[in-house]
Amino acid sequence: MDSVSSTKEATVSNASKVVVVTSGKGGVGKTTTSANIATGIALQGKKVVAIDFDVGLRNLDLVMGCERRVVYDFVNVIRNEAKLNQALIRDKRVETLYVLPASQTRDKDALDAEGVGRVINELKEQGFDYIICDSPAGIEKGAQMAMYFADEAIVVTNPEVSSVRDSDRVLGLLAAKTSRAETNSAAIRTHLLLTRYSPAMVKKGEMLSVGDVLELLGIPLLGVIPESKAVLQSSNKGTPAILDETTDVAQAYLDVVFRYLGEERQHRFIEDQKRGFFGRLFG
Amino acid sequence: MASFTVLRLKSTDLELIENQLRAKTSQLPSLFLDAPVLIDVAPLADEVAALPLSDLARLVRACQMIPVAVAHLPDGLRPAAVEAGMGIWRGPIQARVRAGAEPASIPSIPSISSVPPIPSHETTPAPQLSAAHGGPVVVTTPVRGGQVIHAHNNDLVVLAPVNPGAQVIADGHLHVYAPMRGRGVAGAKGLPGARIFCQKLEAELLAISGAYVMADEIPPAMRGRAVQVYLENGECRLQPL
Repeated sequence: MDSVSSTKEATVSNASKVVVVTSGKGGVGKTTTSANIATGIALQGKKVVAIDFDVGLRNLDLVMGCERRVVYDFVNVIRNEAKLNQALIRDKRVETLYVLPASQTRDKDALDAEGVGRVINELKEQGFDYIICDSPAGIEKGAQMAMYFADEAIVVTNPEVSSVRDSDRVLGLLAAKTSRAETNSAAIRTHLLLTRYSPAMVKKGEMLSVGDVLELLGIPLLGVIPESKAVLQSSNKGTPAILDETTDVAQAYLDVVFRYLGEERQHRFIEDQKRGFFGRLFG
Repeated sequence: MASFTVLRLKSTDLELIENQLRAKTSQLPSLFLDAPVLIDVAPLADEVAALPLSDLARLVRACQMIPVAVAHLPDGLRPAAVEAGMGIWRGPIQARVRAGAEPASIPSIPSISSVPPIPSHETTPAPQLSAAHGGPVVVTTPVRGGQVIHAHNNDLVVLAPVNPGAQVIADGHLHVYAPMRGRGVAGAKGLPGARIFCQKLEAELLAISGAYVMADEIPPAMRGRAVQVYLENGECRLQPL
């Protein structure tokens, strides 16, 4: 029994995945997505940490409702001013979920590849299954550090031209300016998450459709999150929306989590009526 | 052998020069970025005495090009040019001015033209050209916004979409067998026979050997179609395939 469980643990830590949640454009839902996906995966019993790379602003701890328990932060750990375990905050609702908060008193120059790499390696050694890196907006240092060590990327995009263009730019960086690209390893697996989607507006021609976005970006669709008041309410409360299963946003994020973990789930929230959207999408 | 960008001055008005230079380089920034520039003052004749050479050199650098030398400069101004960090060019300039680049009706403007290869042993900073045509460069992954791919001395074959904001540049022919939504350049170092082939034309800009068409100038009938682009009388012609 003992040997079985230890073998399992070893396999798990070897398979820890670094996932960057990125977009280029700001305000599209990166932090919301990081919080919900991290929570959702942790709800499945996986050990998950969400790292806030938005040094200088600090949002993730607020959205995840742990801002009052921040003592040390990511930059303190990078600079050896605190131990990793002193900075990690354990979630009060989901046992296997942790947050590594950003510093509000530093700027993005405090991040360097050597330090970030060391922290990520330490998290891997601690047996985290998923290390979710919440990227800041833009394509500057903070964003580049967030993506540098990624194995996978979730590209968050709004159905709007400038957001799609920025995501395209970020996909270019993911293919060129990351550890995997520089060492000629297998390319980062990229997933598209379309947020703030409103089928009614798409119908009226006021919003890009899923098909339009996929045509330009050309990466697999992980899910569509509908535009909803629940997102704002849950951010303000510090409770990730996925924890209240009655909302459509929670349902959408749960789908995303299960799809991400390898389960087949039909896409929802793409059309007003639930009918053959696949036919329209790919037909 | 090397080819140079020549800045032929017809005015000593630095503001005018800067405006036109910036307008020119902004059309294809990657072509002009860090390009060595030869400044030809021949058209200025006697007016050249009024040209502030060091300010001019600073201006060209501010436009992200490198002023290398001045041609047709009277001997009396040589120290000023050297002081400004530029050499004196005594070789021939066989200017091949692209059609339409110098409208005869508007005098006093500086113009940029490509010069055909000139012997490089007299110059120092020239673009590095490998001697032989090494076969086409083939790209199989999407070219995303912000990415620039330049096939030096070669054809460029792209088998994946070129997205808005991306630039694909070939010194020879350019082939894009997927949607072409970015900027495409063929004959980038001045090869008027170069052509562009697109399977699905949705480009922002297409250029051959210095002549270009912008998105607005592409006839709607050509959009979304398989199209080839070639030079005819110095202008880009689009033809469905």
